[in-house]
Amino acid sequence: MDLKKKIKSLLQHAELYKSQGLLNEALEKYVHAGRIIKKHAAVIGNKKLLPAVAKRIKILKAEINRIEASPDMSVVPENVQDIIKNKFAFTDREETRDLEGAVALAKFGQYDRALREFRVLMDREDLKVNAAKNIIRCHVTLNAMSDAVGQYREWFDQSALRPEELNKLRVFLQSILDKKGIKETLPGKEPEPIVREAIVEDPGIMDGEIILPELVQGEILGDADAEEEIIDISSVEITLEEGPGKWRTVEYDVSFQSGRVINLLISSSDKALIEILRTGLELKKVHFYSPIAMFNGEGVVFSKSRIESGPKQGDYSLDIQIKHIR
Amino acid sequence: MANINLKKREIECKIVYYGPGRCGKTTNLDYIFRHFQKQVTGEMVTTETDGDRTLFFDFLPMGLGKIRGYDVRLQLYTVPGQVKYSATRKMVLREVDGLVFVADSLAVRRQKNVLSLKDLHGNLKEYGLSIFKVPLVMQYNKRDLVEQGIPIMSLTTMERDLNRQLKAPSFPASALRGDGVGDTLKTCIKLTLKSLRKQMGW
Repeated sequence: MDLKKKIKSLLQHAELYKSQGLLNEALEKYVHAGRIIKKHAAVIGNKKLLPAVAKRIKILKAEINRIEASPDMSVVPENVQDIIKNKFAFTDREETRDLEGAVALAKFGQYDRALREFRVLMDREDLKVNAAKNIIRCHVTLNAMSDAVGQYREWFDQSALRPEELNKLRVFLQSILDKKGIKETLPGKEPEPIVREAIVEDPGIMDGEIILPELVQGEILGDADAEEEIIDISSVEITLEEGPGKWRTVEYDVSFQSGRVINLLISSSDKALIEILRTGLELKKVHFYSPIAMFNGEGVVFSKSRIESGPKQGDYSLDIQIKHIR
Repeated sequence: MANINLKKREIECKIVYYGPGRCGKTTNLDYIFRHFQKQVTGEMVTTETDGDRTLFFDFLPMGLGKIRGYDVRLQLYTVPGQVKYSATRKMVLREVDGLVFVADSLAVRRQKNVLSLKDLHGNLKEYGLSIFKVPLVMQYNKRDLVEQGIPIMSLTTMERDLNRQLKAPSFPASALRGDGVGDTLKTCIKLTLKSLRKQMGW
């Protein structure tokens, strides 16, 4: 093809790709055209062409950088949040639908709205403690530990929660604070639970998929409200059984828990670990730490995904389904 | 599986438009919203970021009327196409009943199509679904761009790249003009309802 025709064609394609929003493809064409013009400058004889193409390349690169660097819209309008809340609560259990909806909002990074929803759910006797724990989890995920502590103190000063409920929250938050090395002692009575053995209830259906039996600490002495005592996992220690760090143990705090599924946030810098923990990987040796006891067990990597927006952008979100606890 | 409310006699089906970034998923929904007013039951909700890229999803509710005494409702979603939005794609895909894979006909997007289809396959697998069994329709979009002199792939090439094994119904389309949009959706609805009938034992 004639040199001038080729350059013209490349520039035309670049413009068309740009109009399609395919900026990288457009850039490629401009760069290609630029190279040809530079190489055959004497033949082409148009001194204005190269600077013009260079200018377009510069503008395009700036545009690509701007889009890539601009923070993703982390808070979406309320109508979108409503859809997230109503359509992403995958549960057949009417009684937990609102809670699942609020968890979905948190998963989509809509923390303010999620917090609002969890606060409303605290008026419901059956969901009160669970909602309160999720409020704490939201603050922890946002690294707003002082807000988590402040919230607990507010609950402590008010009389909305029963002493045993307050105690559960205190133990839950205190363990997180201790793990993070934050020297803060929450007000409240020391719990005196004696765990005999974790017992397993019948399997249930949640989120449209079969989940493992819910572990119930029904044998915790002195606890009258046993039926809502689903084990809260505050952190996990996983022994890796493959990869370069075979038999290495890694420990992570749990950022969210929904029934059998616990969610961990893994830093983007821990590339080797992210690679090893692929979806479907069976984790044969896991220590599950609850605020009051430690259990051995097994899990499976349920899903792994990169966080696209918010303060944890770039890190990885890992869902582990608890298969077995003993 | 579709959300079936026996008490209210309502069936809610979820159809997801999947495909690489900038392939025209939102344009499909936008066309449906503007031209299928009779079936559309609410506003189209979009979550676009800078550069017209979908952040979370687009959502369009539709109604199909009564089938065997059940009020059948459709929810159309798009997923974000950009590679980095993998987590959201997976969340949107959850409990999907029918799929439209929108492929970009531009020759420069050939590899992106294949990668996106592979991504779909992987995500379905994680939900215990097989891409061979889920109601699926292929749409080869942007056919009109050939008129502007942009190199596009032949339908044979696209079939070979994307549909050789799947053998899903496929349609050439121009979502911007509306060509093939209705046929794609109608076929997907048909396949989804067929699958639903099977599940319901009708």
